[in-house]
Order: sequence, then C-alpha cells, then structure tokens
Amino acid sequence: MSSSLLHPPSHLSPAVALELSQSAPAVLRNVPSTNGTYSISSLWTAAETPELWITYEHLMLSCLRTGDEESAHLCLKRLTQRFGDDNTRLMALRGLFQEAVAKDDAALKQVLDEYESILTDDPSNIPVAKRRIALLQSLNKPTEAITALTKLVDASPTDAEAWAELSDLYVSQGMYPQGIFALEEVLLITANAWNMHARLGEVLYMAATANDSGSEKYLAESFRRFCRSIELCDDYLRGYYGLKLATDRLIETAPQASRPSKGDTGLPPPEIETVKRLNEVATAKLSEIVRKSAGGEAGWQGYDEAEVIAAKELLNRDAANITR
Amino acid sequence: MTWISQSVTGLGLLFLAHACYSAHEHSVLHSTSAASVSSIASQGIDTSTIASLPLDISIETVAAVFTVCLGLVLGTPGLRPIQWRVWAGKIEREGEKGFMNGDGTLDKDYIGNPFKVLESRPGFVDIRKQRKEFAEWVREGDSAATIPKN
Repeated sequence: MSSSLLHPPSHLSPAVALELSQSAPAVLRNVPSTNGTYSISSLWTAAETPELWITYEHLMLSCLRTGDEESAHLCLKRLTQRFGDDNTRLMALRGLFQEAVAKDDAALKQVLDEYESILTDDPSNIPVAKRRIALLQSLNKPTEAITALTKLVDASPTDAEAWAELSDLYVSQGMYPQGIFALEEVLLITANAWNMHARLGEVLYMAATANDSGSEKYLAESFRRFCRSIELCDDYLRGYYGLKLATDRLIETAPQASRPSKGDTGLPPPEIETVKRLNEVATAKLSEIVRKSAGGEAGWQGYDEAEVIAAKELLNRDAANITR
Repeated sequence: MTWISQSVTGLGLLFLAHACYSAHEHSVLHSTSAASVSSIASQGIDTSTIASLPLDISIETVAAVFTVCLGLVLGTPGLRPIQWRVWAGKIEREGEKGFMNGDGTLDKDYIGNPFKVLESRPGFVDIRKQRKEFAEWVREGDSAATIPKN
C-alpha cells in the first residue's frame, strides 16, 4: 500500500483513504522521524528520499479526510521539523490542517484572515494563494474565488492546475465561453493530456446543450476534441462515450444544419458521412469495452466501474431506440 | 517462461565453463609437451602451435556464448510501450495491474495518468467537503452493513 501513498490522495475512493489512514500509526512508527538532523548517525543510516516527505504529505491529507487529526498533526510536525516554519508549501499545509479542524465559520474566517496577512507579506506565495481560493470556494463565494484566481493566473500563466480550477469554477457558474478558454489554456501547457481534451469536449458539449446560439459550432468543436482524446489514448472509455454522445447529437441536428456563411472563419462543420462512421466506431468500441470489462478479461480491468455502467446504459438506450 | 530462460542460461554457462576448462587443460598439456620437445631439440618454440586451440573447443566456446545470450534475451521482461497512445491506453485499460513487476508489487515509477492531477488538483483541495463526503460514506456503509442483519 505504501506505493499509493506516493500518489495525490484526493481522487482515491473513501475505502482506500480509510485504509491509508488506518495504516498511519504503523507508518509513522516505522519511518524515521529524525531525518535531516546533522548528527554523526546520519553517516550510516539510509539517505532520506523525497518519497518519504511526499508520503508524509499524502498521509496527512488522508488522515485529515478520515478525521484522524492526531496522526495528521504528527505528520505536520515532522514536516515542519524538516523544512521549517516559513516553507511556503508547509504554510499551505498548516492552513489546510486548521481548515479541517475548524469548528465553525468564525474559525474559518480567522484562517482566511491569516491567509490574507501571509499574502500581504509575500504576494508570491502561490500555495497559500491557492489555499485561499479553495477556502473562498468552500465558503461559497465563487465570485471572489474567480477574481482571486484570475489574478493568480495573471501572475503565473503557466500554472495548468490553476487554469483547470478556473475553468471548473466558470463552468459551475454557467459561464461556458470563459471555462472553455481556461481549458484551452490548460491544453496549451499540457498538449498531450488526453483527459483534459476529453474534459474540454465535455464542457463544449455542455455549452452546446445549454444555449441555442452557436450550439452547432460548439458541438462540432466538442466532437473534434473527443476525437483528439481518443487519438492520444487507445481504448479511452471517456473519449468514446463523449464521441458517441456528440455524434448522436450531430446526426440529430444535421438536417437543419445550414451551410456556413462566407464570413465564417472557423473550421467547416464535419461531413455527415464521417460523423456517422465515427458514431459506428464509437458504438462498437464502447460495446467491446463494456463486454470485456464486464467479462473480467485480463488487461481490461483498469476502468472505473461507474464509467463502465454509464457506458452500458448509453448503449442500452441506443438499442431501445432502435427496437422501438 | 522464466524457467526456460534460466535453464538455457545455465546450460550455456555450463558449456562455457567446460570450454574454458578444456582450453586450460589443452594449454597445460601442450606446454609440458612443448617444453619436453624444446628441451630435447633446444630449438625456438613455435608460438603458433601453442596459440592455436583444437577446433572443437573453439566451437564449444562460441556456441556457449550464443546460448547464454539466447537465455538472457528470453528472460527479459516485456517491453514498455513507446508510443504515446499505446502507453496511455495501457494506463486506462489495465490500471495498476498493467504495471506490476514479476513479483506482484507495483512498479516503483508507476504514477498512473500523470495528468490526473489537473482534475484532482491537490493544491485546491476542499478538505471540508472531503471530510463531509467521507462521513457520509461511513454512515452509508454503516447502514448498508446493518440492513442485511435486520
């Protein structure tokens, strides 16, 4: 289990988080705590590795999630011993700990004030700036969070994580054009991220279903993004799912689709024949993935169970439409 | 597959050792005979006859080396994908199981989808929401565990 302590824990399932946090006392007992002090014994003890400190950080996050504040505090203490009080990342971690143990909104307000005082002293403290934005969001102040986040991406425009967060915030407020722009910025930084291509396809699809003006354009763009995500990743369930949704809708709306006017500078809408063929490909691939994953075939077990079930439902809905 | 490669390598090493031993014995025998000859004839030693080995020892050496090479090649683990989409597809399709070592532990440099952090975003983690969700999950788990008993 120690290997998954090296991965960021926020996307783990609650069961895994519980398991990790239950292992915390044992891990804390086993790993050395006095690493980094310059004593004579450091000559023969094993060299400290970056993994050790990553483990501490992730262990602390898992413990906070499950409510094991004692172990979390111990992790924080050891990290502080090693890296000092004024480490920016540790300042953010300490704030996170205070957020987690805060009893009421007044305590949270105090944490927020603390973040702000840190940021007035040192505006370039990115981890704390991110914590402040996350806390604003958590306190249900999305407008302020967006303002703060736009300032942050102005200051560090190559921070893909911040752009992705900004896009999610915009989308949660229903501001699709802005959310799409932010995701395109993410893709400028990480052009090969297949999941972000799929995410952009999803946001474009949502934008196409939400409003009528320009929905064709959004839909065509979404279709292209899903194609790109599949191009970057073989057998990508999420990409094929999106491709199927987008092509289904494109086929539905195709008869009304008008030829683009002369002034239109964007890409022309996809050929209807191509769309139909891609729809068939997506259907075939989805049913293959569902069949192999449900059949327990070796080498097809990495898919998320919920995603496979969703794909199955989509296929069933399709089949019901045909038989009707 | 491992036992085949290991036995082939072992066989090759055995042949190699045998070839070395034969070569050593041959040179010892040859030098003693040559010494006795030279002591009788008091002539200069013909170096080319000492250097040349019988053909069967040479063939055995070469064959043994090739056998060892074959065994080692057979024993190499499967190659990693070098194409982006194949590699990404392997991560999505197989998950952690696709990156296990021979002894069933996870490969040390396996990190899954490296771009997943752009969606989980550890820098912006909302710990209070996570705690709430976890508490709900525990409650659900409790109720789900107690229902079958009732």
